[in-house]
Amino acid sequence: MTNITRRHFGIMAGASLSTLGLPILSAPALAQGKPRVVIIGGGPGGATAARYIAKESNGAIDVTLIEPLKTFTTCFFSNLYVGGFRDYKSLTHNYDKVRKGGVKVVHSMAASIDRDKKQVVLAGGGKVPYDRLLVAPGIDIRFDSVPGYSEKAAEVMPHAWKPGAQTQLLVRKLNALKDGDQIVMIAPPNPYRCPPGPYERVSMFAHVLKKKGFKKSRIVILDPKPTFSKQAVFSEGWEKHYPGIIEWQDPKIHGGIKGVDAKTGEVKTDFTNYKPALVNVIPAQHAGKIARDAGLTNQTGYCPIDAASMKSTVDPNIFIVGDASIAGEMPKSAFSANSQAKVAAMVIRAELTKSRAFPARYSNTCWSLIAPDDDVKVGASYEPVDGAIKASSTFVSQRNESADLRKQNYKESVDWYKGITADIFG
Amino acid sequence: MALGLLAPVAQSADVEYGRYLSSECTTCHGASKADSTIPNIHGLGESHIAEVIKAYRTKALPNPVMQTIAARLGDDEIAALAAYFATAKRPK
Repeated sequence: MTNITRRHFGIMAGASLSTLGLPILSAPALAQGKPRVVIIGGGPGGATAARYIAKESNGAIDVTLIEPLKTFTTCFFSNLYVGGFRDYKSLTHNYDKVRKGGVKVVHSMAASIDRDKKQVVLAGGGKVPYDRLLVAPGIDIRFDSVPGYSEKAAEVMPHAWKPGAQTQLLVRKLNALKDGDQIVMIAPPNPYRCPPGPYERVSMFAHVLKKKGFKKSRIVILDPKPTFSKQAVFSEGWEKHYPGIIEWQDPKIHGGIKGVDAKTGEVKTDFTNYKPALVNVIPAQHAGKIARDAGLTNQTGYCPIDAASMKSTVDPNIFIVGDASIAGEMPKSAFSANSQAKVAAMVIRAELTKSRAFPARYSNTCWSLIAPDDDVKVGASYEPVDGAIKASSTFVSQRNESADLRKQNYKESVDWYKGITADIFG
Repeated sequence: MALGLLAPVAQSADVEYGRYLSSECTTCHGASKADSTIPNIHGLGESHIAEVIKAYRTKALPNPVMQTIAARLGDDEIAALAAYFATAKRPK
């Protein structure tokens, strides 16, 4: 299809969505030609929004996605790579189909947002103007939240909470362990990406130790939280599959996490000094730097949004989706980001092309693998209520469920991965 | 038959709303193959889709993910979804 044909098709499609005789495009769009939407971040939130805006507007909106990486490795399902259930390549996706869907993909780092001029400044100095901007940078690690930890220390004590080299480093260290070696995980405080993720990861550590036939190795979780996601079914699964292997310590037990020393390999709590062979430090997190630098965050380090649209409460031309946003009761997950992106895409399209706006509907499900064919899930539907996103109905796996049901959950999670990655990346 | 009675309702279904609501479904159902635990729902019969969603809403069908999604759908929304999916093609 030529550009001209596509443009004509777009205009016709736009016309069918608006009352005949009324202007199709908004004021800024009329001044500039097609309205321009720029998206920062090509993960589950950003890539979904880009694809849906391009697809649903049929070319009536100019969509540009700014993402420095040419391939995206998903954080979700990376624990299955840790456990040896997936290879790394199976988690990696490219942007070919995003491009084919009518999105301009710019592989560059977005350096800053000039909100007054409504443009994104690229690392190379280029400027990308927008009528609406969607920011989906995910999280940054707050290295200083654990005393002694740093970006450099992460080369010895990986966090592996952002996909890529960190996850591969963690797996190399895990696979190098000998029987009797100890693993210590420092779990993150709320709110953080993927609430059940640390506990699924520990399950995968234990699975690898068990598979190697290790008898003496132990895993300690030092948690700053008194409780954690899906705790009842994780605890049950650990007793069943890995008896005596995993010790979870809440603050009453460890008395406080004092810090780590990457040089000596030590982890200190109020009561104990550990010197494990593998330390996995998952620190506190906050919204990606570009969102913080642009003044889109509040004192929590995340971005406040309008619950009905995912629009920033500080800038009406900017939307924030995914882990960087404060999405009420929704957890920070790829599923949440994908769901939020569809609401934002619908609202952005309505604002720029006068297409119909609909009520915001959000949903999420998180699956976690405890052991082979033993998978648990938690999920909910969400809606805006009195200005905040709240759960309208929820479910969570229960103790004593049948092995068949847990196996079915695992199969479902694998099929979900195929579905959502196709929805995000095409 | 019930199928015949459903037809007039379906004709008034808000397909555009159904298209928006369907984006919640395609998160999981977009890439379904024949052997998937998450079936393809594009191009299925309108009354069949509506009946299945309603069965999840009453919890006559078991999956909690689907029960949760169906719980908040009103009859009009189910009709809108069914009308949309009946003619929709699976995303490529």
